[in-house]
Amino acid sequence: MAFLWDELRQAIPLITSGNSYIMSVAWVTIRVAVLATAIALVLGLPVGTALGLGRFRGRRVLQALANAGLALPPIIVGLAVLLLLLPQSLFGSLRIEFTLTGVYVAQTILALPYVIALTAAAIQGLPPGLLTQARALGASRRQLGGLALREARIGVLAATIAALGASLSEVGAVVVVGGNIQNYDQTLASAVLQQINGYANYPYALAIGLVLLALVLVLITVLTVIQQRSGAIQLRFRAP
Amino acid sequence: MHLLWNVLRHAVPLIVHGDPYLFSVVLFTLEVSAVATAFALLIGLPIALALGLGRFRGRGVLIGLANASLGLPPVLVGLLLFLIMVPRGPLGSLHLLLTRQGVYLAQTILALPYVVALGAAAVQGLPPGLPAQARTLGASRLQLAVLAVREARIGVLAAVIAALGTTLSEVGAIVIVGGNVYSYDQTLASAALFEADAAHFAEAVAIGIVLIALILVLMGGVSLLGQREGGIGLRFRSAA
Repeated sequence: MAFLWDELRQAIPLITSGNSYIMSVAWVTIRVAVLATAIALVLGLPVGTALGLGRFRGRRVLQALANAGLALPPIIVGLAVLLLLLPQSLFGSLRIEFTLTGVYVAQTILALPYVIALTAAAIQGLPPGLLTQARALGASRRQLGGLALREARIGVLAATIAALGASLSEVGAVVVVGGNIQNYDQTLASAVLQQINGYANYPYALAIGLVLLALVLVLITVLTVIQQRSGAIQLRFRAP
Repeated sequence: MHLLWNVLRHAVPLIVHGDPYLFSVVLFTLEVSAVATAFALLIGLPIALALGLGRFRGRGVLIGLANASLGLPPVLVGLLLFLIMVPRGPLGSLHLLLTRQGVYLAQTILALPYVVALGAAAVQGLPPGLPAQARTLGASRLQLAVLAVREARIGVLAAVIAALGTTLSEVGAIVIVGGNVYSYDQTLASAALFEADAAHFAEAVAIGIVLIALILVLMGGVSLLGQREGGIGLRFRSAA
């Protein structure tokens, strides 16, 4: 135990003194997680809503794809993104391989299946009478979508929590697409990996790990509290 | 497109001709997934049952903890295990660092929350009358547990699928604990990371394709098993 205690005693001051390297990595991590989740919500909510409500051809295939996307190893997603971004490749002219922009792209793609699959599942879990009634009362598609999202908000928030959690803790894609470049496009999770495997710098690894743990706990707790608060069923009908 | 095509042209023969390195990595991946999931079930299922069926103090807190542990970044689990297993650490004398046993242990610990949290949720989702009735009819604890697992088998299978999925696609923890040693304690996922980092894209893609195929086969197989056993089949046996 003496060893662990020693490492901890060296790690704590790094956090409390606001070590500039650790703070900058934490800031990059927050930006990546929030931005990737936000873009995934913007892109994924309409798709998830359409999947949850829709009665169109190819719906099952799309839903199966979204579910399969959840099981896809991040490292494979990262590899595919990198191959598309390499200079001689399809999107090579963008020049975003081994950049922070590339990391944003990879994390957004990883967050997307969570938003789509979990939103669709949440909407499908609504009492079927609700949507039928709204349709019968002449709700437009937009109104129907809005109603479904509002009623399925607990599930939508769960999707947001899952997406955020994934982008905070994921390493495979970040390392492959971004190259895990110190002080530039590292997240806290990939920085831990580098401190241990690359530099064998345990106090730093532990300090970064503790910051990551705190960040995960705070973000997830805040979202969970919001989720539970919004839990009560509140039907509101508005005049069209 | 040129690059993608080239990579694919070199990757496919590696799979088709049964590259010995690739083969050994596949074998180890299967071993790790099977062993870790089995141990996680062995340890986790009794805990899940106690949480799902039990009526003891602190049960809510424990369920909350189990759910929260699902959001724990694997890198942090790896970091903690690493610091415990370092020669000077508390379990340093076991020499688990950079070994296959260490990888087994890390993956088991990562799979455990899925079994506990999803297993408990599945048991809790049973119609409340069912365990109550079994209790009234004088079922022993063991009989109650067996009944609950049998009735909640779809949820339990979902937990197995999730556990299997993490062990197949996770890289953060095993790279830290196992060191990603070439051809020794690499899984397909960590081998893909290794090859992508080394810019061996043909090898990385070959590994990626095999990994996706493996996930499809294993997940598909387990899912089919679940659907076949899907119908509610209440069977009561005399408590002889």
